[in-house]
Amino acid sequence: MFLRILWKSLSKRKSRIAIAVISVIMGAAIATALLSVSLDVGEKVGYEFRKYGANLMVVPESDTIEVGFPGVDFGSVTEQRYINESDLWKIKTIFWRNNVLGFAPILYQVVSIGEGEDEQNVVLAGTYFSKDIEIIEPYSSNDPLIFNTGIQEISPWWKVSGNWIEDQNDTTSSMVGINVAEKLNLEIGDTLTIRYYANYEELTNETVYNLKVKGIVETDGNEDNQIFVNLQVAQDLTGRNDKVHMIQVSALCNACPVDTFAEEIEGKITYAEARTVKQLVSAEMNILGKIEDMMFLVTIVALLASALGVMTTMTTSVIERQKEIGLMKSVGAEDKKIVSLFLSEASIIGVIGGIFGYIIGIILSQFIGLSVFNTSITPRFEIIPIALGISVGITLLASALPVRRATKIEPAIVLRGE
Amino acid sequence: MTKEIIRLINLTKLYEKDTRPINNITVSMNKGAWTSIMGPSGSGKTTLLNLIGCLDSATKGSIHINGTEITKLNRNQLTKFRRENIGLIFQQYHLVPYLTAVENVMMAQYYHSFVEESEAVDALKRVGLGHRLKHVPAHLSGGEQQRVCIARALINEPEILLADEPTGNLDQKNGEVVLKLIKELHKEGHTIVLVTHNPDIGRLGDRLINLIDGKISSDSIINKMKYGIIKEV
Repeated sequence: MFLRILWKSLSKRKSRIAIAVISVIMGAAIATALLSVSLDVGEKVGYEFRKYGANLMVVPESDTIEVGFPGVDFGSVTEQRYINESDLWKIKTIFWRNNVLGFAPILYQVVSIGEGEDEQNVVLAGTYFSKDIEIIEPYSSNDPLIFNTGIQEISPWWKVSGNWIEDQNDTTSSMVGINVAEKLNLEIGDTLTIRYYANYEELTNETVYNLKVKGIVETDGNEDNQIFVNLQVAQDLTGRNDKVHMIQVSALCNACPVDTFAEEIEGKITYAEARTVKQLVSAEMNILGKIEDMMFLVTIVALLASALGVMTTMTTSVIERQKEIGLMKSVGAEDKKIVSLFLSEASIIGVIGGIFGYIIGIILSQFIGLSVFNTSITPRFEIIPIALGISVGITLLASALPVRRATKIEPAIVLRGE
Repeated sequence: MTKEIIRLINLTKLYEKDTRPINNITVSMNKGAWTSIMGPSGSGKTTLLNLIGCLDSATKGSIHINGTEITKLNRNQLTKFRRENIGLIFQQYHLVPYLTAVENVMMAQYYHSFVEESEAVDALKRVGLGHRLKHVPAHLSGGEQQRVCIARALINEPEILLADEPTGNLDQKNGEVVLKLIKELHKEGHTIVLVTHNPDIGRLGDRLINLIDGKISSDSIINKMKYGIIKEV
């Protein structure tokens, strides 16, 4: 009989119930969408951040001076400490290896450009542009054995006129920073002559290299003053085979702190130390935190609006049904039966609203994902119970006052004949 | 042998602004008797009925029904007592609009104990509505709705039936049908307290109490046998 009363009571007041359900749908949809986005956004924003460069620097363990990157220091060149190029693959064998999006080794060397009075020193950086690295001992047997990485991978934000050096064995091409290009009036396709002196103080043991300018790099940073070549060129030039000064690592930090990466890398390359780019990491975390706070607030506001909608509908329903409630009481319904009827109605509204809210929320999350992050958001089924819980919880909470009002109804007053 | 079933002692109901719809009434009603309560509008008839029906609470005095002092019961206890002992017949029927005739009767069963649809059907057949079981109130005439209300009042077999102007909204023909039913219930032994404006209906009872300004202005026994004044032969 209870179900019959419940069903008929709901079906005879479809428009009222529809208003309450729509309120719940709105709240549940926004909660589902923002929860879906928030569960994915860490990763999405993480990927966005990775476009702005490495967030980890691996340098030889040593007393250091700051070179190159503000707030980041790496082993001093004069101390002649290096990381072995043959150890680079180990970075891809840490526990969080899948979050290592890329890395690029760098070997710096001061070389001379220009001739006569125009001769001046400039930093030559040997690196990988896009190189296939063999993972000698993968962490898991399922891991790929080849990993393609390089500066092109971790620094997609570089503005490059011309082309990147794509051939990893190209020993005759270079990419020059825009300041170097302007100073020497270099254009793409020009030939650049660099001189390396084994004894720089006396300028003896000169080695000369002619490099074709394949691209001009503009970063508004130190890179604008440097010349980039394949690592092999820098190593050959200086006779430092297998050596690099540092490795820039781009790590996706979402579920794990970037410090964990650093410790793991230090565990794999024991003579190196890994340092986080603190400004970048803290900005990343800060923005992630702010985005999550904002989503939380929007969700709360949406749920409050939803609760108000339900409360209004339930209050109206109680007022409209005063006589019915009075009658039920007069024929013997105790307060708990009245409460259970109204709360059951509220729960049904909550469940229906929750289900539709989840579906609409998932669609909404795709819209947010595509328009804000240019990527789809993974629908998560684990949100269904959360969406249902929130919807039912909100409707029950919003029904508390109207239901209390229903229990206070005096049959003698509402059934009075006048 | 007649037996007292309802006893009101110094009963007073006080509303705000010091209005007293019921003012220090002491009266008792016998089991199986039909007591009619009459009086002008505002004399306190319905308030008295609500107090006896556990729908309202007294300000002073006490009400004893079947040996229980209901003025000492809390809200939930009053509800339980009402559903066990009292059937209510309203002037405006008060049926749930979205339930059919039989469901309206079953609802009273549900709030009392167990739902037995066949009993609800029988109750409606008894009031002559066997052919209108599945009709909602909007599709029933006033007389039919009142008969559903009576079937609902009877379904849990209460000892006392309280009727507030049961024919007040009905035409003469339907009024007669309803009164015939009430007479039958009286004959079956139900104690009936009926509020009416109509002197003809009032005189159908065993006793007629007139109220004016919340006080009993007259109290006349019509059927002395019910009150033990003469012995049944």
